[in-house]
Amino acid sequence: MNKKVFFIFVVICFVVIGILPILFMLAKSVNVDGRFSLYFYKNFMNSSREWTLIRNSFTLSFLTTLFTTIIGLPLGILFAKTDLPFKKLFTVLFTIPLLIPPYITAISWFDLLGREGLLSKILNPATAEITSKWLFGLPGCVLILFSTFLPVIILLTITFLKTINPRLEEAGKLVSGWPGVLKGITIPLIMPGLLLASILVFLLTLGEFGVPTFLRYDVFPVESFTQFSAFYNFGAATAAAAPLVIITFIVLVIERIFLREKTYQLHPAVGGDKSSKINLGAYRKWFLIIVILLCFCIIILPFFVLLFHSLSVDVYKEALSRAGDSLFRSVAYAAVGASALSVLGFFLGYLIHSKTFRFWRAVDSLTIFLFALSGTIIGIGLINLWNRSATNFIYATPLIIIFGYLAQYTALTSRITVSTLAQIPSSMEEAAQVSGAKWMRRITLITAPMAKRGLIAGWLVGYIFCLRDMGVTMLVYPPGHDTLPVRIFTLMANGSTELIAALCVIMIIATLLPLGIGGILFKLRGFLK
Amino acid sequence: MSIIEFKNVSKYYNDTPVIQNFSMKMDSGERVAILGPSGCGKTTVLRLLAGFTSPDSGEIIINNQIVAAEGKIIKEPEERNLGMVFQDLALWPHLSVKGNLEFGLRAKRVQKIKREKYIPEMLKLMQMEKSIHAKPAELSGGQQQRVALARALILHPEILIMDEPLSSLDQDLNVQLRKEILKLHNKIGFALLYVTHDREEAFDIGSRIIVMKDGKVERIGSSEEIKKHFD
Repeated sequence: MNKKVFFIFVVICFVVIGILPILFMLAKSVNVDGRFSLYFYKNFMNSSREWTLIRNSFTLSFLTTLFTTIIGLPLGILFAKTDLPFKKLFTVLFTIPLLIPPYITAISWFDLLGREGLLSKILNPATAEITSKWLFGLPGCVLILFSTFLPVIILLTITFLKTINPRLEEAGKLVSGWPGVLKGITIPLIMPGLLLASILVFLLTLGEFGVPTFLRYDVFPVESFTQFSAFYNFGAATAAAAPLVIITFIVLVIERIFLREKTYQLHPAVGGDKSSKINLGAYRKWFLIIVILLCFCIIILPFFVLLFHSLSVDVYKEALSRAGDSLFRSVAYAAVGASALSVLGFFLGYLIHSKTFRFWRAVDSLTIFLFALSGTIIGIGLINLWNRSATNFIYATPLIIIFGYLAQYTALTSRITVSTLAQIPSSMEEAAQVSGAKWMRRITLITAPMAKRGLIAGWLVGYIFCLRDMGVTMLVYPPGHDTLPVRIFTLMANGSTELIAALCVIMIIATLLPLGIGGILFKLRGFLK
Repeated sequence: MSIIEFKNVSKYYNDTPVIQNFSMKMDSGERVAILGPSGCGKTTVLRLLAGFTSPDSGEIIINNQIVAAEGKIIKEPEERNLGMVFQDLALWPHLSVKGNLEFGLRAKRVQKIKREKYIPEMLKLMQMEKSIHAKPAELSGGQQQRVALARALILHPEILIMDEPLSSLDQDLNVQLRKEILKLHNKIGFALLYVTHDREEAFDIGSRIIVMKDGKVERIGSSEEIKKHFD
């Protein structure tokens, strides 16, 4: 098959699965009784609730971004550039909240700070009353989303620090101490990347649905979900979703214009891993104590509260009997979703990397746009496009969930592919071309095997994000096909605290176990050398 | 008869000319070295000849067939029957020495029985038969060069292009491998287009030298003529 024809087919698949549902949803929302009308939008704009939603959404996103950036940047520098003990362990620990559904973190904090939480037993109900009020609202949402998205800043800071040519810092070190070098050279060099990471956190918070729903804080995705699922008012749901689509689009356009060229230039530097390390000296133990305290408060403590509340074999037996099928489905759908994401992401990543078409930037931007968009919007779009008798083989089957995963998370695998391919010299494929190999043979026998580490990493990341997904799945799952995050969410209405805690622990284990096994296997086989 | 011809070829990157009105001819079995400093456009000439990039104007002709002209690649690299040794060698790290050599033979659908014959023969010619199952990372610099050369020659190309292949080697090994390249050339008889910034290497390998500067041909002549000019 001709290379360009194949890649056009790949792009069409992506557009049909990801973009068409959004366009279809927007087009349908301005069509009332077969005529163009802005009725739903006018209604929505005229309500005072609209302004509350705008204020709440922006406040939550701004504060979460502010705190994650202020705390995440120093942590990233500490883990990447200093002699802080156990920094690899800390990096892994701080990443955990990103890997589990954020509302599970919310449940664990509820089990700690809620009216009947652990705190009420340790201290007194009056204190728990205060902490509960604090948790249900803006501060609670900011706390949980801060711990969820903190790893985005930490991991991207670590990644971008590796792009700095060590000679640049060494030249600075000749005339200044590390604080001066960090302030004057290192941080300005990674600033485009840091801003990109902050924008990502802002958009992910803006689209977050599970935590604000659980903590009863009204934001756009909650309103959109409520209008759709409780009232089945599609027009109002879309009107509530439209501002999110527009804001996400505008923010990404701004990012594209001002930052993208600069972040594309951030490639791994030669010797970037061997850059000189900052000796913390006498401050080492103080930094260690601060990191341990932060790690304990936002990661270990909530997890132990869940464990504490579910310390009974009977509870786990009940949890498995009530949600064992959902667990199995979650793992199966996540595995299928991750495989599909790996394939689609690899080809889109290849297209972006090799600039196969002039519109490669548009493809890249659209994948990021869908990733940053709220899962509820993608879900509503998918339902509207595929909910018809001719396409019931998609809508009424788990295929619709896989479509949801592909729409939302392709950016992850395509970006991982782009980064991986950037590290393979172009001469490798050119040598295969001179040897007479056609493009598919070159990709399958040379490029893909050389990119296997990236492909495996992409599969694992895809698996985790599919497994933790709730925004899309909650809306699109066909009857009898709910996943564990959805089952936990629905059981929260009438399940006991112990049962919910046990299910959350099972969910965390299901997420982290393959990562642990994968990590050990890779190390044994030398994949991570 | 000319096997390679560049007719007024120009190439621009972001409106900056990399090569301008470049013309040259090369006969079958001839050895030509392109000599010039970094950034003079010599690697671009090779990439144009291989088909990795297209000329903005002018024509490239191989074996009397126009393979690229005026922004278009008419014949893809895999159809040009060229062998190429890259500056970084581009040995596929996930494949063994045998795998690296076998790749092109498989792509050209050479039967297994013939593949099993050609690979040991070629490795014997390169004195590399003992390393047939080794991965590139397990080989020394000189051995990697030989494998890259073997891979380029296994399909019996009429033209071999080499992009500063010896630049990363120490002087002794560099001289030794030059001799081996010349020996192979005499034995097999391919047309050799060799790019280097090293005068001694160019005079040693090329029977004819093309001196390039700022994307243009500054001088063309026999090895002796160019040597005299520099002296």
